[in-house]
Amino acid sequence: MATHTPTAPALEAAPVPSFHLLDYLRRFYANYTVRTIFKALVTIWAVITFTFFLIRLMPGNPVEVYVDFLMNQQNMTYDEAYSRAASQFRFDPDASPVTQYVEYMGHLLQGDLGESITSSGTRVIDQIARFLPWTIFSVGLGLLISFTLGATLGTIMAYKRNTFIDHTLSLISSILSAVPNYIWGLMILIIFGVQLRWFNVGELRGTYSPTMTPGFTLEFLGDVLKHAMLPVLVYVTGSIGGWMLNMRNSTIGTLGEDYVGVARARGLTSSRILLAYVGRNASLPMFTLLAINIGFIIGGSVIIEELFVYKGIGSFLYWSISQRDYTSMQGVFLIITISVVVSNLMADLLYSRLDPRVRVSGEK
Amino acid sequence: MTATTYEPTRQRSPHFFDSLFASLGIFGLALRRNRAGMVGFIGLMIYAVWVLIGPYLVPFDDQVRLDQIASPPGSRLVMITRVEDVSRYTSLDDLNGQTVGVLDRSGGETMVEPYEDSGALEVETERFSSGRGVPALLDQLAEGDVDAVVLFSDAAKRYLTPSSSGENDYPGLVVSNAELGRPYILGTDTQGRDILSHIVHGGTTLITTALVAGLMSTLIAVVLGAMAALVGGMVDTIVTAIANLVLTIPSFPLLIVLAALIQLNNPLMLALLIALLSWPVLMRAIRSQVLSLRERDYVEAAFALDLGLRHIILREILPNMMSFVAINFIFAVTRAMYDQVGLIFLGMVPINDYTWGVMLYFGRSRGTLFSPDSASMVLSPVIAIALFQVSMVLFARSLEEMFDPRLRTAK
Repeated sequence: MATHTPTAPALEAAPVPSFHLLDYLRRFYANYTVRTIFKALVTIWAVITFTFFLIRLMPGNPVEVYVDFLMNQQNMTYDEAYSRAASQFRFDPDASPVTQYVEYMGHLLQGDLGESITSSGTRVIDQIARFLPWTIFSVGLGLLISFTLGATLGTIMAYKRNTFIDHTLSLISSILSAVPNYIWGLMILIIFGVQLRWFNVGELRGTYSPTMTPGFTLEFLGDVLKHAMLPVLVYVTGSIGGWMLNMRNSTIGTLGEDYVGVARARGLTSSRILLAYVGRNASLPMFTLLAINIGFIIGGSVIIEELFVYKGIGSFLYWSISQRDYTSMQGVFLIITISVVVSNLMADLLYSRLDPRVRVSGEK
Repeated sequence: MTATTYEPTRQRSPHFFDSLFASLGIFGLALRRNRAGMVGFIGLMIYAVWVLIGPYLVPFDDQVRLDQIASPPGSRLVMITRVEDVSRYTSLDDLNGQTVGVLDRSGGETMVEPYEDSGALEVETERFSSGRGVPALLDQLAEGDVDAVVLFSDAAKRYLTPSSSGENDYPGLVVSNAELGRPYILGTDTQGRDILSHIVHGGTTLITTALVAGLMSTLIAVVLGAMAALVGGMVDTIVTAIANLVLTIPSFPLLIVLAALIQLNNPLMLALLIALLSWPVLMRAIRSQVLSLRERDYVEAAFALDLGLRHIILREILPNMMSFVAINFIFAVTRAMYDQVGLIFLGMVPINDYTWGVMLYFGRSRGTLFSPDSASMVLSPVIAIALFQVSMVLFARSLEEMFDPRLRTAK
């Protein structure tokens, strides 16, 4: 970065200063990392703007939802309910969306996600901090297991190509990847939970037992794992098939490459060929897929978390959508978008670490 | 081919449909080599028949039967008589001129339908209070007011078999060996309605919507992908930017918001919505395929001859990636199914139609999910959806192997 300091233009008498600024910016933008980060920021801004107006176009607003609730549950008249709702919420349904947008972006630039509309006094960032870790934990664990296991099995399939093992695993992975993950969840719940009673469905709700006190005790960690078991199992069953098939196809492609044949001819040990030649190259396309999958699974966690009553960000999003809690919804969309963008960025960077060819062409 | 029908242009660039049929030609040959693909194909054929013809064969069961809530699979009508009459009444014909007690099948009303409706036999019928009136009915039978009672096997079993304490409330009554009517193969739901009929009817809208959504998504992807790759420049930049943006927004949550926004009253809107959010992955794949195809000599020749973008896309590029597009169309359909059923399961789509997804939604919202007695109500649609998805994917995978020799398992 040091080479980009504008020392040279300062020495010459600059005729138009703005030209140098533009030139400087252009050179700055030519940097691969800068460009990637700039694109990521633009993407995040575009998503915020898009979702901001979208969720305000939804029929019904937080006040109306609450008014409905009050009229149905407490038999209030519309006027009573409305004045109660209006006084309770720090939200003016009549303010123009553009004003709201400018205000929101102003706060956002200061790192402030605002307050939840339906539960005043609760900051959205606190809500997210409360729910997001559980989703990161369960989705992350599920992805880690399915990715490792799937890549290993996929490599085995490729090495044992056209054998009974390959055919069986191919069939299993097709079936696993075909069925939606929440359908697996329902099956597991009904067959093993309700019918066979291998576990108590009611006890496994939530992220940890209400009797537990959170802390770094072995007991608490065990309880957390027990509650995360079902969602993690579903994330694994839902995505392992894809990893297996992709890794298999990718490895088969790599095994046919000349350099693998040369490595064999040089008499390298098969474990070295597997790790340094085949595995490394075959797993490259998997990292791009991983980035896409993270977004997909976090998005899909809405259904899984609702199904298992697991209080993560997905179930929080579902709640805020049904309550039309704009600021909470907006915050969750922002967080999920950032996680997708960041995982894409990381996949890019990882890719360039693993594949020198990308690094070279990227820096050109 | 005779000289008169010889068309040189056609020879060089096969028409879109020609290549489609050509690919169908080797299709049967390849399926024979791939057993999993065969299973998938047969599965899809079964689903096609089921969805198209099934609804005409099995009428939709909308009758609420409060006496027959959540009966297990295999339940059917049976005849109950007093022990001493067991050898006398063994079939409906034996009841000619006798009195038969039948539970009201409309539920909650005090009226009972004449038995002719289900038995097609002229017998004198008594009217009984219905709903949970099984004990009352059995009492009347025990007291001799009626000669036989027709009940569902499940309800009969509940009262006539001895409980764990060894007590039988009706020692004088017995199920005669006559089983009447067709069985409820999949049991009944929480309102006593036949689940099988719901499974038969519940697929049509779902599968059609998924197919339409998959078709639209593939179409958008092909058109935009080919345009981005062939026109390049601004078009490419804009299309790619939009694709990346749509890929970044968490699509399922966005779908939930949009579903609430648009008030999806018809399946076509839902299909369009799903398509609008699912095209980018395929579009990027097609763009890179077209980018490599456009380097080929015949495409460059077509450009040099200035044959027009439409001609180049439809006649030069597309026929060469038909298999790729066809496979991805199938995956787009399964993806659409995922989104669609997920939305319905969460209750985000207005319920116009009693589909498999709606059955799952009711399973969740009415708590039957957690009742051991009503497993059939949720498991049936779950299995129907799962098998459809599996058939689609097995079929697509076999197509994939067929067209990509590198993946071919059979030597």
